Amino acid sequence: MAFVFNFPDVGEGIHEGRVVEWLVGEGDTVAEDQALVKVETDKAVVELPSPKAGSVLRLHVGSDADIEVGDPLVTIGEPGESADDVAQKSARAELTEVPAPPAPGSPPSEAAPDASKADRRPLATPKTRAMARRLGVDLATVTGTGSNGRITDDDVQRAADGASAPAPSRPTSAPIGVADSTADGEVERVPLSHLRKVIAGAMRESKQTAAHVTHVDEADVTELYSQYRAVKESVEADGGRFTLLPFFVKALVTVLKRYPMFNASIDEDRGEMVLKRYYNIGIAVDTPEGLIVPVIRNADRKDMIELSDEIADLAARARRRELDLDELRGGTCTVTNIGPLGGVFATPIINQPELAIVGLHKIQDRPVVRDGEIVVRKMMYLSVSFDHRWIDGADGARFMSDLVELVSTPGLLMARL
Amino acid sequence: MSTAEIHAVETDPAGATEKLTIAQAVRDAMRDEMRRDASVVILGEDVGVDGGVFRATDGLIDEFGAERVIDTPLAESAIIGMSVGMAATGMRPVAEIQFMGFVYPAVNQLLAHAARLRNRTRGVLTVPMVVRMPYGGGIHPPEHHSESYESLFLNSPGFKVVVPSNPYDAKGLLAAAIRDPDPVLFMEPKRIYRAFRDEIPTEPFTVPLGVASVPHAGDDVTLISWGAMVRVCLDTADMLAREDVSVEVVDLRTLNPLDRSTMLASVTKTGRAVVVHEAPRTGGFGAEIAALIAEHALLHLEAPVKRVAGYDVVFPLAKNEKRYLPTRDRIATAVRETLEF
Amino acid sequence: MPKTQVYHAVTERLEILGPDGTVDKDLLPELGEERVRSMYLDMIRMRAMDDKALKLQRQGRMGTWPPIKGQEAIQAGVAQAMADDDWLIPAFREHGIMWLRGVPAHLIYAYWAGDERGSAFPEGVRVFPVAVPVGSQWQHGTGVGLSLKLRGEDAVAVTFGGDGSTSEGDFHEAMNCAGVFRTPCVFVIQNNQWAISVPLHQQTASETLAQKAHAYGIPGVQVDGNDVFAVYSAAAEAIDNARRGGGPTLIEAVTYRLGDHTTADDASRYREDEEVEAWAERDPIVRLRSFLEQRGWWDADREQAAQSEAQTWVDRMVAEAEAMPPQDAGDIFTHMYAELPPNLAEQMAEATGGESS
Repeated sequence: MAFVFNFPDVGEGIHEGRVVEWLVGEGDTVAEDQALVKVETDKAVVELPSPKAGSVLRLHVGSDADIEVGDPLVTIGEPGESADDVAQKSARAELTEVPAPPAPGSPPSEAAPDASKADRRPLATPKTRAMARRLGVDLATVTGTGSNGRITDDDVQRAADGASAPAPSRPTSAPIGVADSTADGEVERVPLSHLRKVIAGAMRESKQTAAHVTHVDEADVTELYSQYRAVKESVEADGGRFTLLPFFVKALVTVLKRYPMFNASIDEDRGEMVLKRYYNIGIAVDTPEGLIVPVIRNADRKDMIELSDEIADLAARARRRELDLDELRGGTCTVTNIGPLGGVFATPIINQPELAIVGLHKIQDRPVVRDGEIVVRKMMYLSVSFDHRWIDGADGARFMSDLVELVSTPGLLMARL
Repeated sequence: MSTAEIHAVETDPAGATEKLTIAQAVRDAMRDEMRRDASVVILGEDVGVDGGVFRATDGLIDEFGAERVIDTPLAESAIIGMSVGMAATGMRPVAEIQFMGFVYPAVNQLLAHAARLRNRTRGVLTVPMVVRMPYGGGIHPPEHHSESYESLFLNSPGFKVVVPSNPYDAKGLLAAAIRDPDPVLFMEPKRIYRAFRDEIPTEPFTVPLGVASVPHAGDDVTLISWGAMVRVCLDTADMLAREDVSVEVVDLRTLNPLDRSTMLASVTKTGRAVVVHEAPRTGGFGAEIAALIAEHALLHLEAPVKRVAGYDVVFPLAKNEKRYLPTRDRIATAVRETLEF
Repeated sequence: MPKTQVYHAVTERLEILGPDGTVDKDLLPELGEERVRSMYLDMIRMRAMDDKALKLQRQGRMGTWPPIKGQEAIQAGVAQAMADDDWLIPAFREHGIMWLRGVPAHLIYAYWAGDERGSAFPEGVRVFPVAVPVGSQWQHGTGVGLSLKLRGEDAVAVTFGGDGSTSEGDFHEAMNCAGVFRTPCVFVIQNNQWAISVPLHQQTASETLAQKAHAYGIPGVQVDGNDVFAVYSAAAEAIDNARRGGGPTLIEAVTYRLGDHTTADDASRYREDEEVEAWAERDPIVRLRSFLEQRGWWDADREQAAQSEAQTWVDRMVAEAEAMPPQDAGDIFTHMYAELPPNLAEQMAEATGGESS
């Protein structure tokens, strides 16, 4: 195999040289240690002896050529051998790779620090930061009550629990309930709670993202109601609790199976609608501090009594700020039961990143026409707000139609469980 | 409870003790080792007939003779260079550099040879030598007699660096250093050579290199120090106890190899650390300790690690001495700053 | 009162074998044909080893190499005068005598090619490793001598250094301490007249280097360093004196550095070709060959055979050095201390990905 002799570092840090004179020509036979070439460097003119005996197959540079350390000088091998069939490893002269210096004018490898980012960066000790990471709290949304506005461990804990910040020890704004005056009249300033700020952000974002359309329909839940009363007595006799909500959750899950796009989210980066094959139903809960949506996981696998218990438990703990982060995330579709608060129907806002939210409204005795006669039935409106970017109005109507049918015909709901 | 008391039970059940100063303890250690091992010799300026300018070798020439307690010409480089040659050929020289401030002419022999000969010869030649150096300030001496120069040696691979703070540790650590197969720089805090006496065992004993001690336990903050500064830290702890601040003091005893685990366990417990040393702050060993704490205990810290050290200036002459050295008040201020962070 | 003379010293120069091969028969040491011929063969080998190393460096197979060309007689002569148990403390231009004192030749190559194992000499080889900080080794020599004396060992410490090293403070301290402690030391200065580009007359105002010994109260002698018999004779006397408790001696061996300081140097920048040529005529190998031939102890055939054998020997040493497998990744860590300390164990794991042995 042919051997390539590269220009070695002959003088403690030589980088380059110039070929002064070749002492052999192509085709010549050379002995080991025979002088091959004279090279001039900064330090001296040196003769380079051949590391191997053989035939000179190729001279890679001519006289007067400028060469750098590591450049091939000459290939030596068997007479008649091709100079291209070269042994990969040169004898012992393995030069370490020195990375090329950056081209002038190229940007530095690290971007200059973004000063404006540093100004906005929340202040917290590493210990506090680690805690925030663990609890899934975004420090940017936490108001610090420590010195210089630093976020303390307590601040993080409160944020995780969803509670509002207590009155700061060194208040940065006027204390709660302090009367103030503007040019137009007296005002009272109330600090915004952390939860409120979170809700505000979520609502705005949802409204600005999704193309909200709300489809409203009405259901005759007279039968459902009497079924519910029958079961309720029996369950409460055993010490449990029971509400109407589980029926609706089950009905919803049934319809979601038929209309998977209402139980989905969008991956715009990949251009895909992600249809969830699991059913985690969020239940909107009204608390004194604001709206919280705990999630019932795998609602399709729980019976109504289990659902009832779980809903009651989640609601109670939500109001007490005792929910884990895991219980607040992972929903695939949300139900908001506004009915008990009154009103006819409403246009709920979708709970991102879901694509639909179902509203349950007040059950009322109303006169309706059945078989040409006016009768009094328990009627309720159901609304579904959906994201019209991905779900068409017709689908919304069909979805709601099926849902109404199920809750209007409990027997059918049972059959589809 | 003094370090001596802590250890007394382990090492001397018979209980025979004596009250010694650091200078005396150091002398006893050398005496014991020379009795035990004929290859141990002492060399340095004025170590023989004069017994050492701090009397650390007092009386040894009477017991062991001039061939084992050697008065050398005034030549620091020779003291170390000869020690290298002797150590590599079967002896255990204990060389004295009279003041750490005079070690500079010997730095070449120390860094180029003492620290390297083992590695250079892949273990064929080794250098089991000890270099004793009185160090540190506070004795209002002429220039060059107050230096703490450990950083240079801590950043030069191949040495072990030991600094006792009390007579018990001085005796035990020096004995261990003399028995160690590698070159050990033994820094003796000259300010407290005779400042106090501790009850220590009369029998020979060793204190292992590379193990820190905790002479004072506490919960709120850890003071990390060595040498003469340890006593200042202990005084500070007493003072702060009256303010209801519970201070733990860690005496490193050996700087290289460093006992990280004791130091980190303490800081993990208290969440606050203040390093105290005489050497200048920038590039001082406190910086290394702070980096280690940040690396290994970051999430336990309630406040940044503080350093109370000499200023980045030449050690002043006597009249300005007190302005330079870390004091109880400076340490207490640093402690309070960590508490209020 | 007229001044009185409180001290007077004389420095002498010893020459036995002239450049043309003739000898002063009265001073010729009694070595016999075999030993003289073996010294010649040693010198041939040293020259071959040196020449090959320069070529290897130009091929990228050797690191910086300091040639010993022209200084072979000093190394062969002193080696011949040393006993088995005597220690050698070299500077960095003693490849020849290091080999003669038991350092495997391929290790010398390996060291200069950048492998620490080149300084891990076999057990029983009483040689210190190469000392790069100029002059620092004089102190070790005194220390070794003191150690031998204190431990009652019947051996001598022979330390080498160059003319430049006599300007270092360590030289002064080492000579002084050796004088004070009367150590069994022989200090050999290879005065090759150049310290890189600084000639002797710019190195010191002293007329000779040997006379510096007087300042320390120890004997000093100058010899023709290219005269193997003079070197041997002076060395033998000094070593014998030291062994018998007579204290140290300083020997200045005057020679010439026929090559560059190292392969990173170009001597033509600072010295005249005429000077080099003049000294080439005083080549130690040439004059010893002449001596042997005049005695009928050597001829052209033997010369050819000897040169060929030297080449074979060198080739074998190159092959052996280049066949050494790479060191383990952890080797830079495991020889710092007797036991691997925790911080180095950590760093070693980091550096080797936990693969080290």
